[in-house]
Amino acid sequence: MATRPAELLLGRLMRKTSAAPPVTAERRSAAALVKTWLPAIVILLLLLVLPSIVPSYIQSLVTKMMIFALFGVSMNILWGYGGIPTFGHAAFFGFGGYVCGILIIHGGIANFWLNLVLVMVFTALLGAGLGIPAFRVYGVGASDNPIYFLLVTLAFGELLVRVAISARGLTGGSTGMSGIPYPDLGLPITINSYSFYFLVLLVVVVCLFVIHRLVNSHYGYALRGIHDNERRMQALGYNTWLYKYTSYIIAGMFGGVAGCLFAYFGGVMVPGNMGMAMTDIVFLIVILGSASVYFGPVIGAVLVVGVEYLASVYVPERWPLIMAVLIVVVIMVIPQGVGVLLLDLGRRVFRGRAT
Amino acid sequence: MSTFTITALNGVSYAFILFLLAAGFSLTFGVMGVLNLAHGALYVLGAYFGLAVISQLDQFWLGVVIAAAGTGLVGLGIYYFFLRHLYGKVPEQAVLTIGLGYAFANIILWIWGPFAKMGMTPSAFTGVVRVGDLAFPIYRLVIIAIGLIVLAFLWWMQDKTRIGAIIRAGMDNKEMTRSLGINYGLVSTLVFLFGAALAGFAGVLGTPILGAFPSMGDALLLLTLMVVVVGGTGFIQGTMLGALIIGLLDTFGKAYVPSVALFTAYVIFIVVLLVRPSGLIGRKVF
Repeated sequence: MATRPAELLLGRLMRKTSAAPPVTAERRSAAALVKTWLPAIVILLLLLVLPSIVPSYIQSLVTKMMIFALFGVSMNILWGYGGIPTFGHAAFFGFGGYVCGILIIHGGIANFWLNLVLVMVFTALLGAGLGIPAFRVYGVGASDNPIYFLLVTLAFGELLVRVAISARGLTGGSTGMSGIPYPDLGLPITINSYSFYFLVLLVVVVCLFVIHRLVNSHYGYALRGIHDNERRMQALGYNTWLYKYTSYIIAGMFGGVAGCLFAYFGGVMVPGNMGMAMTDIVFLIVILGSASVYFGPVIGAVLVVGVEYLASVYVPERWPLIMAVLIVVVIMVIPQGVGVLLLDLGRRVFRGRAT
Repeated sequence: MSTFTITALNGVSYAFILFLLAAGFSLTFGVMGVLNLAHGALYVLGAYFGLAVISQLDQFWLGVVIAAAGTGLVGLGIYYFFLRHLYGKVPEQAVLTIGLGYAFANIILWIWGPFAKMGMTPSAFTGVVRVGDLAFPIYRLVIIAIGLIVLAFLWWMQDKTRIGAIIRAGMDNKEMTRSLGINYGLVSTLVFLFGAALAGFAGVLGTPILGAFPSMGDALLLLTLMVVVVGGTGFIQGTMLGALIIGLLDTFGKAYVPSVALFTAYVIFIVVLLVRPSGLIGRKVF
């Protein structure tokens, strides 16, 4: 807890002046830690025993929910913590998936771990490349009206869709890329849908843990500071551009991991996975689950993927309409999201018990 | 040389379709600061409204009017029920209108089926005009003429009329405009209605050239964004310039260097962003 080299390094890199003392999260007692993490641990235990008690279609549904939870949480680094409304986050998701598929099918790289690392490297490079023009139009204190940034990131996503459609040799064009096999771990374990569930669980939990550490570190607090008042952070000597830029890359990287898992999960990758529709779904996930709560997007992912599944069973043709209704209800009626409502409810219940 | 002239004409007429498409978006976005990403879907909706009327009644101009009115009403609904309550919440506006756009595409698919439709050129405008040994399709010339009329009208409205002055005042300072006793809410509702109607208008006119299918809204929205960002927001001249650049680049690219044509417009888009983020003409409104 005392020294985290990476954080120190990031802190050194980011601050212009070293005069400001590092803001570290206050040391919390073991009891408080257990209380904070108790719901997460209970859910984790539930997820561990889940595949042995539910039918396989639910197991695959939960796998998808976990992937989209990671997708949503990765976007929330930008939207919830940095206040940066990226409308091209699906680009990273789809790009990660395509990189994964291309590495397997054209690159001949079967090893899952190597593949995952390469996906992270390539999505980080994509983020670094797109971030420079994108943040040129973001400006300072633009969280009040980041309209240009929004349009530009949206256009980048759509642009990548067009690239994927036209680079037919690599990506399979508009019909997409199919035949991505289950991953090879380099271990004497054959991966089927049952063991893949646990692999996804492992990767998602590790990623969520890392992101949680990140947003509750010095770096994460600085990002929230930029969200609230960028000018003030600049006055304090922070290079706010660098924070926003790196958070864009980091969020893209984890989005890419989610996309990679999704490519393995479905075995296919289509250009639409990079486009506006997917971005809208991930935004719905984040807003529905509450952007201001760390685990909010997880709740959002469970709800949205669940509704999507029900829609695919009963009215498969009308999913866009149902999605639109969901969006309207969420934005017009509960803009703060379900996560906040649940937290309030929890607080009320506990307070009631205490008094 | 003759291929060059024909390509130039095609490029210019394509640019005017883009202008009609983007003008409505530019009005609502650049002037009111309201983001309607269902704009592409409104174009498609207009195209299908127009096709329905034209195939039933065989009246091209009636189809144009009804389609413009229909999409205008749909746009009015979007504004009145949703966007009006989301002022200043741009990301929420975007999420909502993207979702509505997909819903419209889905409804179009539901009613009219998934197959692409070609619009019928009105019989008065079929055929070609011959200049020397070159043949220009009349319909493309008509598109250019209509685009010019709309451009002149919008320009006049922006610079010379009271409503234009109110809009420009609101662009500078919304609260001050309100406090001067101007019903800015009504003006912005009307502007939004007009912008949506323009999308439908463009839809009917563009269909004989571009065709129509339910999911084309995404590509059109991307084109709109490129036109608006390249040209610059806040002035109708900027939209025209952006439309000309994107339209000509796209058409000439496809004619002369088809292998890279898909990306010529995108390259310009990114270059403009890097060099002059506020667009070629225009000011950064926000």
